[in-house]
Amino acid sequence: MEDRNTRLIVAYFDKTIDDDGLAELQEWLESNRNNQEIFSETIEILSASKTYFKQPVNQAANWARIHAHVVAEGTIATGADDAELIRDRHRPAGFYLKRWLAAAAIVLVTSTAALIGYPYFSVPQAHPVTYAQFSNPDGTHSKIILPDSSIIHLGAGSKIRYEKNFTAAKRQVQLDGEAFFEVTHHADRPFIVKSGKIATVVLGTSFNVKAFAARHQVAVTVKSGKVGVMANLNGKSKLLSFLLPNQQLEFNSVTGKFTSRTANAAAVSGWMDNNFVYYNTSLKDMAESLERQYAVNIRFADPQLAKIKLTAKFNNLPLSEVAENLSQLTGLSFTRQGKEITVAAYQKNRRKNMR
Amino acid sequence: MYTDNTDEALIVRLKRNDPVALETLFNRHYKPLCNYCALFTKDFAAAEEIVADLFIKIWDNRHNSDVLNVKSYLFLSVRNLSLNFIQKKKSPVDSIEDLTLTQQALQDTNTPFSVLSGRESDQRILRMIDRLPARQREVLLMSRIDAIDKHTIAQVLGISVRTVETTLYLAIQQLRNQLKIS
Repeated sequence: MEDRNTRLIVAYFDKTIDDDGLAELQEWLESNRNNQEIFSETIEILSASKTYFKQPVNQAANWARIHAHVVAEGTIATGADDAELIRDRHRPAGFYLKRWLAAAAIVLVTSTAALIGYPYFSVPQAHPVTYAQFSNPDGTHSKIILPDSSIIHLGAGSKIRYEKNFTAAKRQVQLDGEAFFEVTHHADRPFIVKSGKIATVVLGTSFNVKAFAARHQVAVTVKSGKVGVMANLNGKSKLLSFLLPNQQLEFNSVTGKFTSRTANAAAVSGWMDNNFVYYNTSLKDMAESLERQYAVNIRFADPQLAKIKLTAKFNNLPLSEVAENLSQLTGLSFTRQGKEITVAAYQKNRRKNMR
Repeated sequence: MYTDNTDEALIVRLKRNDPVALETLFNRHYKPLCNYCALFTKDFAAAEEIVADLFIKIWDNRHNSDVLNVKSYLFLSVRNLSLNFIQKKKSPVDSIEDLTLTQQALQDTNTPFSVLSGRESDQRILRMIDRLPARQREVLLMSRIDAIDKHTIAQVLGISVRTVETTLYLAIQQLRNQLKIS
């Protein structure tokens, strides 16, 4: 009741009151002298609270700062460009990259001059090259030491390939899957990890690359040093970004979209010690990862169940304990038969108890 | 300047790298955003800086993010940034440079903004407002920012419009009671 009157007074003060409300307010005011007091007190409070606010004094200066940032990026659309912009809307990543590549190129020149001039995505060579190849089945990790004494920790269900004449000017490996790299420093010989359309270029650092070809997603996470990530778009290679420690870049090879964020590199590369961290990850993605790590098949009785998202951390646990933890977290049953795990909802009467 | 464009139309222009769209958004929302931000920072210069940084971020992320309700997004972002800002300020170690003279002067009066307000009774009420429960204080002051209506408040705070109204009522009720006692 009083609640409603207050709302009317506020609407009156804000000048948003309608005719019906105004009539109601007037009636209420006339009905009791005490109400007039409530009215004037409320108005006093409202107008006093307005004095809390100030006029901004730095608006022009702050806009100048923002504008300088926008100009520095060098992507201003002029009128003449507009038509081109509309036409190119369908391939955003490639197109906009072109525009800020100029700015990025300056960084490239000043910071890692040695990297320039390498054909990161070279055309197939005329003479055949021989490759060394390593691949891990699901459930197995391995450690590979390259001729230049760089170390590759190759994840489960992943494979890596490199040219036999690795010691030549360019150190280049191809990855399908996940691996953690500890690269020895050679300023004149960049180390390049190619995974689909993405090339990760470094001089000497440690970083994690997750790039399962079947998932169309590449994630590069840096643990130490500085890493350049290049993408091959429409036949041309372009610098996407330089990453510093604990930065992560994710690239979708279907849409060409990429995002960078901060990430905990230690957690991302925890798989080397069988430590798995999932942040707000769907059961589907989690199952995919667990299938690889534990060499099992995970099947969902109801595809809807795979959409459940959760955050979990498993530090070197046997599969049985992982399944038990997941079962407790989700209230689902995880039944194992040999290499098959079936995820299902509990029986109806039990499920009620879980909720 | 596209003053007759909606916020959402401006975002579409922004995605096409149009800095004038950014400027329009900036001019339209700068003042209410600064005022909202200052509710938390109690430092207007810091508030203006936080808001300007947000617009730089919006420009940088223009191709990566999609926003359905621009206004709620802006106020919610400013809210998060402000809370981060005061969280950082509360760090156990205070650098001596942080304790400027002005800040010390402002600490003496309970509310920095009351210094600037003319009327004595207003100042008294402002001091009371700063002692309200945080939610009540925020809803009351937020509802006093011209550009914000109760639907925006509800969206930004993640509560129903009805709850906004009730909270506003409770805040006013409490202030009226206190006015009577004092």
